[in-house]
Amino acid sequence: MMSFYYSYQPLIDFFLIAVGLGYSQQLALRAGVFSIATAGFSALGAYATAILVTRYGVPVPAAILVSAVVGMAVSYVLSVPLARLRGAFQAIATLAFVQVVIALLLYFESFTGGAIGISGIPRVMNTGWLLLAVLVTIYVIWSINRTSVGRVFNALRQDDSVAASLGVPIKSYYALAFVLSGLIGAVFGALRSLYVFNIEPVDFGFHAMVASLTVVVLGGRNTLLGPIAGALIMAILPELARPLAENRGILNGVILILVITFLPNGVGDELVYWLRRRLRRAPKTMSKRKEGADVVAAD
Amino acid sequence: MSSLRIEDACKYFGGLKAVDGINMTVPAGRITGLIGPNGAGKSTVVNMISGVYSLTRGEVYLDEQQLTRLHVDEVARCGIARTFQNIRLLPEESVLDNVVIGYFRKQRSGVMSSLMGLPAALAETRRLREQAWELLGRFGIQKYADYEAGSLPYGHQRRVEMARSIAAAPRIVMLDEPVAGMNEVESAEMAEIFEDLARSGMGLLLIEHNVAFVSRLCSQVYVLDSGRMIAEGPPEAVTRDPKVIEAYIGGKADAA
Repeated sequence: MMSFYYSYQPLIDFFLIAVGLGYSQQLALRAGVFSIATAGFSALGAYATAILVTRYGVPVPAAILVSAVVGMAVSYVLSVPLARLRGAFQAIATLAFVQVVIALLLYFESFTGGAIGISGIPRVMNTGWLLLAVLVTIYVIWSINRTSVGRVFNALRQDDSVAASLGVPIKSYYALAFVLSGLIGAVFGALRSLYVFNIEPVDFGFHAMVASLTVVVLGGRNTLLGPIAGALIMAILPELARPLAENRGILNGVILILVITFLPNGVGDELVYWLRRRLRRAPKTMSKRKEGADVVAAD
Repeated sequence: MSSLRIEDACKYFGGLKAVDGINMTVPAGRITGLIGPNGAGKSTVVNMISGVYSLTRGEVYLDEQQLTRLHVDEVARCGIARTFQNIRLLPEESVLDNVVIGYFRKQRSGVMSSLMGLPAALAETRRLREQAWELLGRFGIQKYADYEAGSLPYGHQRRVEMARSIAAAPRIVMLDEPVAGMNEVESAEMAEIFEDLARSGMGLLLIEHNVAFVSRLCSQVYVLDSGRMIAEGPPEAVTRDPKVIEAYIGGKADAA
């Protein structure tokens, strides 16, 4: 067990970061916000922490906190114009947001280090801290799933005018989903910067955007298992496909097409739905069938 | 006793006068009918009251409170609920969860306690699920509680939607063709529920095609034709009104 951990430690750590960013991506999609802004939030979080820690000697916990606040503030501001858009237009707007963030990082060279980025970031993150961050995120989303906010998010995704007709202030809840997505994205961006020694704009570009979207598409949009399953596939696949290293992009593409075609809800979601169907068939319906029979008899 | 009033309400779509200067009152504790041939503007009226359409002219009041310029969700939070003519459930959710979301307006636990999974929020969810389960029983669809709402037959979907609309005990509920596609026995079951609701003090507005069904239940009936109110009064009087007869069968007689 321990030897497994030591030989795969970087893989495990990057898997945990991918899970966190996956939840940021999933939260937006799950509430019906077609956002791909996660890469932009993680860039903001990473740079905020890196700059504060390396330039100003701010303690790491305080820097992470600032990253979280930056993530929430920016996502809140962004949620206002986003609320006026739908579907693909939201995707394009958030794509533009990511590009703007990257452009600004390149432009303010004296502050952000330009294309070279920031190096010499202390590596204070380890598997334990990353795991803790993922577990806290899972707890929050698990809580959401079991309470009012989760019900509202599901309603927004499926039919937001129905939600409005039931009294849901839909703009506020869209903003809430987006702010949570921004918060999680920025925090995991910050954690990532405290793990990799140096960051540069290219780490958060198109590739990062596709990566966190892929985690959710492969894993699933709605369940807790989704991002874990998606990130697991993304982490293991390159290892299995080492001989094909040259063609890794093709392999990723093929897997993505296969999953979208045959498991459109994502591997994790499909698994959870399948389990739920099985559990439902067994004990619970037995008691309900009896009550159902009474209704029929009463007719 | 509260009541919903609309005064001189108009809705024009460009040159089309979909609803043209109607007055209507939906009192609490009563069942009011809104009938009229296809395309008369009945659903437009529902959309005007619930805030989906802004009024071209006129006002909507709930008691003394003006609703005219409120958004859909604000109107709902004032205690006005509705169903949709073309049934709109959350298709991926279970029947039970479709009803649970109906309690939104009455929820007490806040967003933070939901995010932190505090016991109060979890207890509320449990309580709402129990209440929704009982409400499903009242509509005779308890045995479908676990089914995906989208997989239910049409008539049952209507029942789910009605259960959802009355879950939060609104002051006024507008039911758009509640018994469309139901047989005699099923309509009678629904009629019983509507009468119970009215007795409990809720004001009901039934938008219907089925004149017989409306006549049996309603204390007051409004008849809409081409966006104008052509008759109002107790059902016995309205159904004998020559203008109403003409609106309903006159057109057909002409065509024949």
